Formats: sequence, structure tokens, C-alpha cells
Amino acid sequence: MEEGLFSFLKISIDFKESHLFFPTIMTWVLAILAGVIFLVYGIRFIRDVANGTRRPRFFVENYDKFRLYGTVALTVVYFMAMDLVGRYFPNTGFGFLFMSIPFMFVLSMMYSHEFNRSKMITIAVNAIVAPSVSWYILGKLFNITLP
Amino acid sequence: MDFLSLLTPMFFLLAGVGTIIGIIFGAIPGMTATMAVAVCLPLTYSLDLTQGLALLLGLYVGGISGGLVPAILLNIPGTPSSITTTFDGYPMTLKGEGEKALKLGIASSLFGGLFSAGVLFYFAPALADIAIKFSYVEKFLLILFALSVIASLSKKSMLVGIFSGVLGVWLSLIGTYDINVGGNGETRLMFDFMEDYLDTGFSLLPVLIGIFGLTTILEEAEKGIREEPLCADVNLSNRSKFSLKMFKGQGVNLFRSASIGTFVGMLPGVGGSAASVLSYTQEKNFSKDPSKLGNGAPEGLIASETANNGLTGGSLIPLLSLGIPGDSTTAVLIGAFTLQGIQVGPLFIGENMDTWYSIIAALLVANLVMFFFMFFAIKHIAKVVTVPKHLLYPIIIMMCVVGAYTINSGIMFDVWTLLLFGIFGWVAQKIGIESAPFIIGFILGKDAEIYFVKSLESYGSLTIFFTKSPIAMFLWVLIFLSAGYSIYTSVKSSRKNNSSVPQG
Repeated sequence: MEEGLFSFLKISIDFKESHLFFPTIMTWVLAILAGVIFLVYGIRFIRDVANGTRRPRFFVENYDKFRLYGTVALTVVYFMAMDLVGRYFPNTGFGFLFMSIPFMFVLSMMYSHEFNRSKMITIAVNAIVAPSVSWYILGKLFNITLP
Repeated sequence: MDFLSLLTPMFFLLAGVGTIIGIIFGAIPGMTATMAVAVCLPLTYSLDLTQGLALLLGLYVGGISGGLVPAILLNIPGTPSSITTTFDGYPMTLKGEGEKALKLGIASSLFGGLFSAGVLFYFAPALADIAIKFSYVEKFLLILFALSVIASLSKKSMLVGIFSGVLGVWLSLIGTYDINVGGNGETRLMFDFMEDYLDTGFSLLPVLIGIFGLTTILEEAEKGIREEPLCADVNLSNRSKFSLKMFKGQGVNLFRSASIGTFVGMLPGVGGSAASVLSYTQEKNFSKDPSKLGNGAPEGLIASETANNGLTGGSLIPLLSLGIPGDSTTAVLIGAFTLQGIQVGPLFIGENMDTWYSIIAALLVANLVMFFFMFFAIKHIAKVVTVPKHLLYPIIIMMCVVGAYTINSGIMFDVWTLLLFGIFGWVAQKIGIESAPFIIGFILGKDAEIYFVKSLESYGSLTIFFTKSPIAMFLWVLIFLSAGYSIYTSVKSSRKNNSSVPQG
């Protein structure tokens, strides 16, 4: 008999509900940790913000709105377009190839600070060569599935 | 000997190419060894395990080593683990000893790498032999220990470190409680409409590639993709030549730093920066003239570079013997094993002797290639630092897409996972969530659940976690030690802050 001091530690898990057992514990642990973090750091942080000794800053100073949001937006468009075009040409990797070229070109242009003829040419060549080479090596030689 | 038949010319070629690509990644500031491994993972899809590992280990060794180039020449650490290399490396460059400093760093790296490969070779099988006896109870405690170590060594605060780890565990639980491992096949932690996408949860690789590939690019984009302005200053004068005599009297330093690097590498989730910072401070503590360090002292450079390469073998020890990654790069390596359908854990070495030997061989080859390539081609590598980012980053994103899409043979949701976690990683570092504990939690989360729930199902009481075996009790001692250590350091540092900041 294992009755006595430690009987409160006895646990039986219903198999039907067992998928929720550990996640529930983790959710609680997470919530409790968040609460403690709030008590330890959050209150002081809010107080400092309220009395003006500290200004919350999410972005780095003078952050580059154009390049940051541009990257995210362009990536979203790139992924969507790749999926769409890929459906027209299933199992060819053309969605990847055809969409990577303009994506790389526009992104490279966006990341450049000043422009001149030779730089534009490098960007264009890179935008065409890099996806083509990876499409050929990965998709054709290595038989890797591409969008 | 089956093992020798694995060492094909292709094996050496891949290890060599991997090392060189790794060096280039490491040498470009902002790109890390972890990123190199993550981005090149798709290349291993069609290789067999031995060859894939040769490539990836090459990338790892090269990536860690390459970081010393910009650290010494530009005062910018190429990878986080070369932060302390800048302390003495850059002053040496300013004194006109750039090439000497580079070669000294390379030779130190070689020593650290070979030392840790040796430790790995002798230590990992021994550890695996012990771990083979582990039941679910001990395995759960081991994961708990791993997470407690990560949290206790976390950069900012222990609480936030634990939170990051638990968040990783929580996210890994999303999806079905897998029948194959004894679950009941029900989904959890999601709404009904997500079932189509998240049936098997978030795939590991897109998460990794997102956090270590895309996040970096978002961070750089936020800063406006500035090209390194110091490019023109890279000067390698030959005023004072490198010679092996510089290592005279550095024996203790070499061994201490390599041991520190290897040991820190073994601790789960603790990256290279901790290894080199620790060994640098030790060198400073033991140095006869500590004031020299930080002003171009070769011994500081040796300490830093030996330690961060010592990390490579060290962090493979828990990975190959226990299935727990030692740092974020080895976490990505777990992805490579998973790709090949191999579960790393205590049984791995015994059941895959040939692969195990080939891993050691790949490490040795990678270290030697790293040494010779960097030693003789250093002037050319120094130019890599100046590769324009506006050409490089789009290629990285493209490779990330390939990696994410291919992992489950063509699921678009994995590509969106990549973006999701790329943005998550970027937001996370803003609000203080740390990626290393998060990733380790994410990788180990599902295992932790199985071990925990199954232990309770079979024994029916929480006391089993304390009383199962002497090993379980020993693991508790370790867990308490690491918790105690972190409480001790956080109290110490908060006292320090209180005494240095005048109360107002």
C-alpha cells in the first residue's frame, strides 16, 4: 500500500483526454510565468513609461520603414504568386523559377542605396542567374520538389 | 571495413566545399554558421546521410571559423561567437599585424576544433552507454535539465529564458497527439479551421529556417541594409609575420580555452558567444598582466578562437549521445537527421557505427580544410567581407523558400510557416524572447510530453520522478544546481546594478 504522505501526488490520466493533459499543464506554466514576468519587470516598466523616464521603443532608431515593410510585403506577394503560378505548371518548379526572378530583381533594387548602370546590370544578371541555377541544380539534377 | 567505403571522394569534396561555403557565411557579418546550415539543408535532400552530414559539418566548422575574419579586420564579429576575438584582434590590425592576427586565430581555431573532436570521439559513446539505460522518467528529467541549463545561462533574465523555452514547448504541442508514439490521435491547441494545415503541427525546418534565416534579413532591412563602410580599410600588411613560435608559453591557455569551449558546447542551448566570453575572461583572470588584454594581446585572441571552435565538437556530444542539441546550429543538424529518417539518441552511435566514424572523419576533414584554406587564401577571404548585401539577401530568401517547401515534399503551408516564424523571430528579439531556448524547447517539446505522460500513465504518481532510480535523483541534483546557479548570478548582478546605480 502506498497510502499516506504522497497520496496527493497520485494521478490517473484518462486516455481519451490524454492529449490535453500536458498542453494544459504547459498553458498554465506559460500563464504563470507571464504573470511573474509582469510582476517582476512589467510593473516597473509601465511605471517608468508613465512617468516619462523611459520611452518604449519597438523599432531601432530611424528604422527603415520602406525596406522593412517592403521586404515583408514583397515576400508575401512572392509566396502567393509562386503558389498561383506553380498550380498552372504542376511539378515543373516553374512557379519558383518564374516568380523568383522578378522577386530577386525588385528586392535587390529595394536594398540598393544608389544606382548606376553597372550596378543595375549586376542586379539583373544575379536575379536571372541565381534562380535559374538553383532551379536547374535542385529541381533537375537533384529532383527536389519546387513550387 | 564498411566505414572506409563511405569515405568516397564525394565525401571529402562535400566536407571541403561545405567548409569553404561556411567560412564565407561566417566571414560576412550578420550571417552565422546556423544560417549557413539552415540555408544549405535543401542541398542534402538528395544526398545520403553520410554525405549530407559531411556537407553540414563542414558548414558548421567553417561558419564558426569564418567569423574571425571581420572580427579581426573590421571590429565586427562575423558570428556571435567571435565577439571576444574583436577585443584583441582588431587592435592587432590597427598595429599593422592584421595578417599575423588572422593566422594566429586560424591556428588556434584548428587546435580547438581538433581537441573537441577528440573529446567527442571518446566521450559521446560513453555518455550514450549510460543514456541507453534511461527510461521515460529519466529522459523527461534530462529534458527538464536541458531547459533549466538554458534558462540559467540565458543572457538577459532567467525568467524570460524559461518563458522562451516553455513557449517553444507549447508551440511544438500544436497538432495531433500522435498515435505512433502512444497518443490518442486527437488535435489540440488550435481551432477547427486550422486542422487542415496544422494536423502535424509546425514542421521543424521551416521554423528553424525562418528564425535563423529570415529573421536576420528582417533585422537588417529594418536597419536599412547598410553596406559595411569600412571595406576599403581592409589592409593586410606584412610588417610582422606569423610564426608558430607565437604559441610558445600558450599551452595552458590553449588547453584551458579548448576545454572551456568543449564543455560549454556540451551544455544544451548555450551558444558560442558564452564559450568564448568565458574563456576570454579566464585568460584575463590568469594572465600575469591583464591590462594587456584588450590592447592587441595574442593570448586573448588565442583564448577566444580556441574556445569557439572547441564548441563544435562539444555541442555534438549531447546531440549524438542524448538527442539534445548543444546549440542552435546543432538544433538545425537534428533537422538533417530527421530528413534522413534517423532518430538521434542514445542508440544512435551503437546502431550506426559507420555513420559515427564518418561524422568524426568529416569533423577532422573540415578542420583541416578550414585551416589550409584560410591560412593560404586569407587575403581573398578578407574580400568576402565586402560582398554586397543587396545581392546576397535575396538569394538567402530564395534558398529559405526551397528549404521550407521541400521538407514535406511540397506543402505551401510550410513556406508560410517560414514567413510566420521569420516575423516571429524578429518580434521575439524585440520583446526579449530568446531564440536558443525557444528552439530547444520546440525541438524537445513533443518528446517531453510523451515521456511525461507515459511515465505517469504507467506509474500513476508524480513521486516516480523522484524515486525511479539513482540516475533520476542525480538529475534532480543537477537541475537544482543549475537553478541555484542562476538564482545566485541574478542576485549578484542585481546587487551590482543597485550599487552602481545611485538611488533616487
